[in-house]
Amino acid sequence: MVKNVLIVDDDKEMLLALREGFKKYQESFAVLLAEDGLTALEHLKASVISLVVTDLKMPRMDGFELLAHVMEHYPDIPVIMITGYSTPEMERLAREGGAVGYIAKPFLIENLARQIMTTLRKESEGGTLHSVNSGMFLQLIEMEQKTCTIRLEDKTSGQKGILFFKEGELLDARVNHLKGESAAFKIFSWDEVNLSIQNGCALTENKIQKELQPLILEAMRQKDETATEETPMAVKENVDAWNQASPDLIKTIKSKIEKKVGKQCGLEDIYQDDSWDDQVDKLSTLGNYFNIGKLMLGYIDKGDANDYILLLTEKTTVLAVDPKCPRDKILQVLSD
Amino acid sequence: MQEIFKDILSIDGVKGLMVLSFTGDLVFEKFVAKIPRDSGNMNWSQLVATLGGMRETDLIFEKGRIYMRRTDIGYLLIFVGLFVPMAMLRLNCDILLPSLTPEKSNKRWSRLFKR
Repeated sequence: MVKNVLIVDDDKEMLLALREGFKKYQESFAVLLAEDGLTALEHLKASVISLVVTDLKMPRMDGFELLAHVMEHYPDIPVIMITGYSTPEMERLAREGGAVGYIAKPFLIENLARQIMTTLRKESEGGTLHSVNSGMFLQLIEMEQKTCTIRLEDKTSGQKGILFFKEGELLDARVNHLKGESAAFKIFSWDEVNLSIQNGCALTENKIQKELQPLILEAMRQKDETATEETPMAVKENVDAWNQASPDLIKTIKSKIEKKVGKQCGLEDIYQDDSWDDQVDKLSTLGNYFNIGKLMLGYIDKGDANDYILLLTEKTTVLAVDPKCPRDKILQVLSD
Repeated sequence: MQEIFKDILSIDGVKGLMVLSFTGDLVFEKFVAKIPRDSGNMNWSQLVATLGGMRETDLIFEKGRIYMRRTDIGYLLIFVGLFVPMAMLRLNCDILLPSLTPEKSNKRWSRLFKR
């Protein structure tokens, strides 16, 4: 599911450069542009935005005002702030205001892209499901009393929506400008959806008073009666696929490292990330040229807060580590 | 330049090294062990472009390892076997990298004026 990233900056050249630079990430996220905070608000109303990247100093509505608005009305949307006038005080204010990231200009587009990908990944940390009947799945969420944020995409219309659950209770929903019950009806009327699950729910206020079941039934009544019902088996198969996917590999790697290196191994995050594939392919050419075989592992220091270990299996698995981690030990464990 | 790299080349398991400019030109190379190379050409400028933004890269292949460091004059690539004291290698790089600085251009100008 391609996610929408809204980039807000009054510097048109900067916007165009970012749009151009992010083209290679178009399979992961789409870019929407706004030249100031007020235009950004229109995008927030009209589309389902997954992440906002905003400049601080802008006319009409500056980055801090936009951040405050997003935190109040769209608390599920993370915000990354960028500024050409960075001071420790500004960074502190941005962080206290709720920004998940703060980047001083000038910066490398790849660094911002990486931060965007890392932040977006949290949106689907609980897994993703394709071509499922939303009603069936959402009842499972209710039964399991899950607290999560679910983003859905209607496979027919391409429309996107979001549902907020706290301990199995539906708190709110949003589809474009619709909110609350009307948005929930809209989402439940979708036959087949792709969805991603984020653990946790940023909302606390309950804006939907009805139980989930009556809401779904009401939405069903509004649907074409001739539509074929999805079978529960289809959901089960997808859930099984979701359970058996990469999380197993990630758990295995994590426990292996923690067992052999210790809990203080400096491991910050593990995830699968195909944005490295192009770089990995080019680095792999060294192995062919010098006849030393296939590239298995890589340790990369880009001067970021974390260093990266790339484990090159079928998919590229990235381990974000503290630069002071016992890297040789970790590489040894991963080589075994 | 050979003198600068003497300590690194004497570490057990180090097979050789190369220095590539930021445009991918070969600045220096010295191999103390034979490494068979593929007959095809290697696109060094593409490799250097890929390394852009990386300060340090350690690549482990099936039959060898390549440790790379960004320097003021380009990228240093050190070719090692699979069993090499990497901490010692990194330490040696930390010590020698400050001595790898771009040639000062005023020397060239002075030569020109002498003529």
